[in-house]
Amino acid sequence: MAPKKSQANAAPVVTTGTTTTTVPAVSTPAKKPSSDAWSNVASNILSHYQKTTPQRTKLIDLFMAFLVLVGGLQFVYCVVAGNYPFNAFLSGFSATVGQFVLTASLRIQTTEANKADFPSVSPERAFADYVVGSLILHFFCVNFIN
Amino acid sequence: MTSLTSFLLLLFTAVAQAISSSGSRLLVVLEDVAEKAHYSKFLGDLEGRGFEVTYETPKSESLSLFHLGERSYDHILFFPTKAKGLGPNLTANLLLKFIDAQGNILLALSAQKQAPTAIVAALSELDIHLPSERTGLVVDHFNYDVTSADEKHDVLLLPTPGALRPGVKDFFSPATPNDEVIAFPQAIGQVLGNGALLTPILRAPATAYSYNPKEESEVLGDDLFAAGKQLSLVTTVQARNSARLTVIGSADMLSDKWFDAKVQKVDGKAAIATVNREFAKRVSGWTFNEIGVLKVNSIEHHLNEEGQGNQSNPKIYRIKNDVTYSISLSEYEWDHWAAFKVPAEDDLQLEFSMLSPFHRLSLKPTVSSEESTTYSTNFKLPDQHGIFNFKINHKRPFLNNIEEKNTVSVRHFAHDEWPRSYAISGAWPWISGIGATVTGWLFFVAIWLYSKPAGKGESKKNR
Repeated sequence: MAPKKSQANAAPVVTTGTTTTTVPAVSTPAKKPSSDAWSNVASNILSHYQKTTPQRTKLIDLFMAFLVLVGGLQFVYCVVAGNYPFNAFLSGFSATVGQFVLTASLRIQTTEANKADFPSVSPERAFADYVVGSLILHFFCVNFIN
Repeated sequence: MTSLTSFLLLLFTAVAQAISSSGSRLLVVLEDVAEKAHYSKFLGDLEGRGFEVTYETPKSESLSLFHLGERSYDHILFFPTKAKGLGPNLTANLLLKFIDAQGNILLALSAQKQAPTAIVAALSELDIHLPSERTGLVVDHFNYDVTSADEKHDVLLLPTPGALRPGVKDFFSPATPNDEVIAFPQAIGQVLGNGALLTPILRAPATAYSYNPKEESEVLGDDLFAAGKQLSLVTTVQARNSARLTVIGSADMLSDKWFDAKVQKVDGKAAIATVNREFAKRVSGWTFNEIGVLKVNSIEHHLNEEGQGNQSNPKIYRIKNDVTYSISLSEYEWDHWAAFKVPAEDDLQLEFSMLSPFHRLSLKPTVSSEESTTYSTNFKLPDQHGIFNFKINHKRPFLNNIEEKNTVSVRHFAHDEWPRSYAISGAWPWISGIGATVTGWLFFVAIWLYSKPAGKGESKKNR
């Protein structure tokens, strides 16, 4: 994790620079520069993310965002429409959550920055583990929803 | 030996079914056998209906209600006797034992003769109370017979009883009531306790009262035994084993004299004939199990579901099964079994119970024949597994008790009997949730594998 953090810290150096410049502006009644600064921060983060993140990690992030969306929809439906049949809710929701957890693990294991933590796990090995684990999860959930 | 006994038993039941539904041996207890001439028409009617009548006096040495532990008679008819006790062969205890053994008793009392102590004791066991001095006479100054009791007012003229309450069949009125009256001479009134087994057939009119004729005083004191509707003149008891006992307050009403007497009401113009004979026939017929006897012919229950082998009376059902229950009933009418019809305001109910009923359902007649009616109902078993009973508990005044219990097990769903999730529309969002996750994952894996070299190169470049 540590190397990644340092990498992330490298980008905010620029942003901190911008915020410090805007600090006096906050005391003045004009608010425009502040919001400009915040959008500056966001666009900086975004451009940094787009520049420095490998394409596979971006794919993982996209998939995880998709899972969060699907899981959220299922949960909202359960709250609004009730949890009958409960086993269907459990398996549907836990399929999404489980998939999210497995994908997060894949992201951790395949990130270059974490390589030192997993000396024996190659990205190929991590992906194979991920596929097997996901298949087991799908098998279990489809069984459980009956 | 067994075949001979069963043959004899069969013969006996065949003979028995020709008259009363529970045997034809009738014991008549009189003060003096010669006294039977007094009641010749009533006793003649009984013999005409097929009873084998035995006449005995209480003093008779040979009189015995039981022989080797079995009843010697099926029914007993008591006429009033002069003696204070009935002797060692007819104690209160023996009479109650006779009822316990499903024997029927018809008691005719009279205000002119003291009721024997054995009978008073037996009646008080059944919560029927006679006047303490045992000589109460019921009089009514508004409903007496003008021709015979103009002075004493002790011959009551009563309308035919009618139905006890809505939903109870009227067994004791003539088929077409036409303002006939029952003459009730020298009656002794009974006061009934709160027992559920007691049912009066005939109550005294509101203006009647019971007093002790031996007392000379002109005014009625505080010692009035009972008055008005409190006084029951003809009372029935049907024990839990369906043995029947009837107390008739006036033995004279069964006599030949009153069977075809002409009576005149207080405000009536012409003398009218009494319906004593018809009433006596119906009361004795009811007491001796000739009417109001129910029989369960068969009970059947089965699964009522498509595509199942719906065999009869299975031992086990599953929760939420659809089940059909039917029971076939007959009612005895004088000399034959006829279809039993539940009165309009009454219901025949089935309970499906485990400790307490989970269902209490009205049964509807489905199949009706000359000799029986089949009542049935369809219902869904409760969502509760365990040992259940199909229970019919039909206890109605003037009908013998029906208590039928059929035990079945109710199991829960087997693992492959639950509905599939796609059969439940509520589960569809979650099924599509799994679907979206799995397809999303497949796309992810495909893109991952496809983008592998480029991604690796890119990341290497970045490093």
